[in-house]
Amino acid sequence: MSDPIISCEGLTKTFRSGAEELKILDGVDFELQRGSICTVLGPSGSGKSTFLAILGSLERFDSGTVRVCGYDLGMLSEKSLHVFRKAIVGFVFQFHFLLNDFTALENIALPRYIAGTTRAEAWASARKLLDLVGLSERATHYPSQLSGGERQRVAIARALVNEPTIVLADEPTGNLDAANAKEVADLIRELPSATGTTVVLVTHDAELAAVGSSSYSLKGGALECLRS
Amino acid sequence: MPEIMRPRSIRALTFLGLRFLFGRPQREGVAGEKRARGRRGPMRAATPGDARGTQLRHSPFWGAVLGISISIIPLYIVIFISNGMIRGITDRYLETKSSHLQAMLPFNPPSQKIQDLLQAISALPGVTSASPEIDGLGLAASSAGSVSAQIRGLDQSIAQDAGYARYVRADSGALYPKSQNETVLGRYLARALRVEVGDSVTLITLRDASGETILPKMSVFRVAGIISTGYRELDANWFIIQYRAALRILNPETSYSFLGIKVADPYGADLDAVRARAVQEMRAVGLAADPDSSVRTWRTTEQGLFQSFTSTRSVLILIMALAVIVAAINLASALTTFVLEHRLEIAILKSYGLSRSQAATIFLIGGTATGTLGILAGSAVGIFISMYINQIIAGFQFLLDFFTHMLAPAAHSIALLNPDYYLEHIPINFSWTFPLITVGVSVLASALVSIIPALKSASIAPSELIRHE
Repeated sequence: MSDPIISCEGLTKTFRSGAEELKILDGVDFELQRGSICTVLGPSGSGKSTFLAILGSLERFDSGTVRVCGYDLGMLSEKSLHVFRKAIVGFVFQFHFLLNDFTALENIALPRYIAGTTRAEAWASARKLLDLVGLSERATHYPSQLSGGERQRVAIARALVNEPTIVLADEPTGNLDAANAKEVADLIRELPSATGTTVVLVTHDAELAAVGSSSYSLKGGALECLRS
Repeated sequence: MPEIMRPRSIRALTFLGLRFLFGRPQREGVAGEKRARGRRGPMRAATPGDARGTQLRHSPFWGAVLGISISIIPLYIVIFISNGMIRGITDRYLETKSSHLQAMLPFNPPSQKIQDLLQAISALPGVTSASPEIDGLGLAASSAGSVSAQIRGLDQSIAQDAGYARYVRADSGALYPKSQNETVLGRYLARALRVEVGDSVTLITLRDASGETILPKMSVFRVAGIISTGYRELDANWFIIQYRAALRILNPETSYSFLGIKVADPYGADLDAVRARAVQEMRAVGLAADPDSSVRTWRTTEQGLFQSFTSTRSVLILIMALAVIVAAINLASALTTFVLEHRLEIAILKSYGLSRSQAATIFLIGGTATGTLGILAGSAVGIFISMYINQIIAGFQFLLDFFTHMLAPAAHSIALLNPDYYLEHIPINFSWTFPLITVGVSVLASALVSIIPALKSASIAPSELIRHE
């Protein structure tokens, strides 16, 4: 077996509010191979989003080791972390967080444009991804002109524009009706074969969790393997 | 660590910053979107609470642009009008009263020496004319009363002085007395004495002030002309008589005799060079009593007036600059509020790799662009108004007169620029120096006030997205 693309050892994270301490992750060990989809299940407040944020370097952790694509996230400086986020990971959130005054195409192209490519190159990549998510006809539409499912598909395309190694998706169907949720789930299922990315999907929806080749449950700060 | 950040990302940050602050361009709208656009503000991430097309808020930055524009317009108007007024009044003083240089002369020097000096100084490079003059004080009296007067004994060569001719206009009669018994009065002196051309006025001067008894000397002059320079302070005092007549009636101890010298450019640097040469010529003809003070430039003779103008202008600029500073602070405030209201959007961009410095750059560019837009718009309007200020004032004066006449026919007209205190026509000398300095300083100020909101945006952590969810 090849080296895992993500590995965690003894990962802990505690939130403090005054004198009160809340241990969200308590010695989590985790490994994921390249090109797979892993789902993490758990009830609200179990720490799924925090776990995902740590893997994507949005959140710092207290102790343990987190390695993503060979990078020890605990050792990276703030400056290196933004380069890491730009080059290695793509995020899909429960709320699509598209920017209202940018078209679907621009929303997708922005991360690549900011990363330093030419405008033409960023826009061309965005067009390809719009094709991939089946929204070529919606390129000039603003988020307010798209349905919930379409917005989330645009958000997925945005997550892919910098050709990330890993896509981290946090409840991507949480705000969608059943039909739109199925469309998004199908799209996520296709990502490894279509783009070669590895996907970590956090959800409390058991149906969506079925898209993963492996599945974990997060409860009481501990990660339990349900299926591998 | 792969590094895909390249310097050209500055274009992306500019694109993002401008769209961030000013919202989407009209041309990118699609059918149906136009109706919603008017109700929607600039870039804001669509959040779960957003229904289609229901986002409210206009970009506050057009307001900031307008605020900066409006604040900078008076700065231009004040500086151009005050410069024009100062230049206009200074020119009048220099061309009609104090000359560009004054070579001090003894009272009634030998006429040969005067002729030699006139010839020598007129031949100096840069000198355009020279004319002797004796000034003194007296009391002008008519049947209407008596008024203090500045007596100016002018040589008839003044009639050939182009500068004098440019600013002195005859309201009636002659510009220069034709005989020793004639006088030409300033407009407001004539009005105070209620005399016209052909009337007689009595001039009372000092015969002898050396002893204990002061003896007056009374001379009668016929008014040959009434003149105006367009500036009341000059027109209120002048009692112009011939040079020879002044020698006859003025007291040597209380009068002031000099050779008025004009040069091609009184504001140029070579004025001091001409002064030095004139001192040499005075020495050569034996008329320089004190070499250091025998020839004075207008900057010395009109020092009080010049400093008064300069300090008044400086205070006006300071007051106007405060308005610009307030507008810049408003911009900083609008930017800071914008950043605080858009933490989420900034966090999203950071989750996609936007660095702290890039986040700061977006708001530095946006703030500077907002300021620059306002400054350029305000400068254009300010310069336009300044260039056509005389026509604009005339237009307002016309409207004021029209409505005054309509509403209160018996009322006196109200002068917007009262000639008692201002020039009747403001000379505008446009120069790019002030606009360039203003634009440069204001753009720099916009960039400086954008630093704090830029730093705030840099400090926003991408983990705020998780808190939001």
